[in-house]
Amino acid sequence: MKSLKRLYGFLQGFIMLNLLWYLLAVIVNMRVLPKPTEVYFNLDRLYGMELCMHILASLYRVAAGLGISLAVGIPLGMLMAYSKLWNRILNPLVYFTYPVPKTALLPIVMLLFGLGDTSKILLIVFIIVFQVIVSSRDAIINISPEIYNPIRSLGASKRQILMYITLPAVLPELLTNLRLGIGTALSILFFTEAYGTHYGLGYYIMDAWTRIDYPSMYAGIILISLLGFTLFILVDLLEEALCKWRF
Amino acid sequence: MLQINDLNVHYQSKQHPVHALGPISLSVEEGGIYAVIGPSGCGKSTLLHALSGIIVKYSGEILLKGQPLCPKTHSIGFIPQNFGLLPWKNVEQNCLLSLHIKKVGIDSKVRERITYIMEKLDIASLQHRYPNELSGGQRQRAAIARSFIMNPDILLMDEPFSALDALTREEAQELFIAIWNQYKVTTVFVTHSIEEAIYMGKKIVIMSTSPGTLVEIIDNPLFNTENLRENEDYLKLSGHIRSIIKNGWRL
Repeated sequence: MKSLKRLYGFLQGFIMLNLLWYLLAVIVNMRVLPKPTEVYFNLDRLYGMELCMHILASLYRVAAGLGISLAVGIPLGMLMAYSKLWNRILNPLVYFTYPVPKTALLPIVMLLFGLGDTSKILLIVFIIVFQVIVSSRDAIINISPEIYNPIRSLGASKRQILMYITLPAVLPELLTNLRLGIGTALSILFFTEAYGTHYGLGYYIMDAWTRIDYPSMYAGIILISLLGFTLFILVDLLEEALCKWRF
Repeated sequence: MLQINDLNVHYQSKQHPVHALGPISLSVEEGGIYAVIGPSGCGKSTLLHALSGIIVKYSGEILLKGQPLCPKTHSIGFIPQNFGLLPWKNVEQNCLLSLHIKKVGIDSKVRERITYIMEKLDIASLQHRYPNELSGGQRQRAAIARSFIMNPDILLMDEPFSALDALTREEAQELFIAIWNQYKVTTVFVTHSIEEAIYMGKKIVIMSTSPGTLVEIIDNPLFNTENLRENEDYLKLSGHIRSIIKNGWRL
């Protein structure tokens, strides 16, 4: 139900945005700002294999970047939450590197790992993994110690405590993380796809821009937004399926 | 039988070590139901935490059925003040939690027991609800069901009725005694209500101010008496307990 409500909210937002866009386009009346109708009528130019390749290339990079970030970040966060020693070792490192703008590392990453997908995915990981580490650690620390008591008195093993308490308790937090991560990853994508590739929605927008093909450029912007929105809705559905107790 | 020998609990606060409890020596009979009453901060909850295996740093001995107490080998039912249901499990899953943790297979006999207890506690129709969709009384009944379903060696309850409103409380107490009479699980519970102690405790254990020791263990002839307040002995017994309290939790 929550997803349906969000869909409704999205539609409202979509219509309002397009109205504003239309008005602005009429007032400004320049080639740089076409009317939304022109852009939508031009969308059919994009259909076909080529467009699929662009979307898949972007999706692959986002999914791999997020997947690796979660796979590395969650265990590290847990380690830091449950082991004082590891927290003391890793905490300074995490806090020191957290505020460094990782996009500035793009040249280094590309020099070390080439122009291909590896460096694009790595950059996404560098940016997202730290927020995953910090928030999963804090989510675990914030679990009220009382909640462990009944299960401890049952003689639960560490694995059982992990499965019955820790994971379900931090799941909502992790999904929020995933949501934030998707937004961030898409922004980074646009930046990294400007270099060393001929596929991806970021590339497509940049390419249309340099060719002064504004309708195509706008089509690309709309598509990358739709991609983000679809991923958001998927996380919502995932949350409804996994966190039934919250609905 | 639960045997407590010379139990002391210390913990380290920020500046200095604190003696939280003891020395306490007590034997709890098989099939007994003990009400522990004492001033706040005397270590009643600490005692329950030690008995439930949540606190493991203590000196002295706790023997359950002749073996040193251990949550892995013994089966301990623990109901905290907030009932301790997991918010992400529905009533049925919460009730089965103890069996899953103990890796008890659910055969037809166990299934029968589960159904019986859930029906007796009137939560069978709530099986698929989550704790945040239940009232306080319903949550508590689910917690009691969970404990009785696992058929524990000992049942520990930390002020189990204090979070309920007065009317629900009386109903819950009656229901508890009814199901307890059926299974006679050895029970130790903490309370701050003299009336509750007299109504629900076969023995009443009075603790001193911190660090809590035993002041008196009273055999309670009024356990499970109806119309308790109208009974003459009730006034006598509660008068006796009140005088201990007035005397600063001393005889």
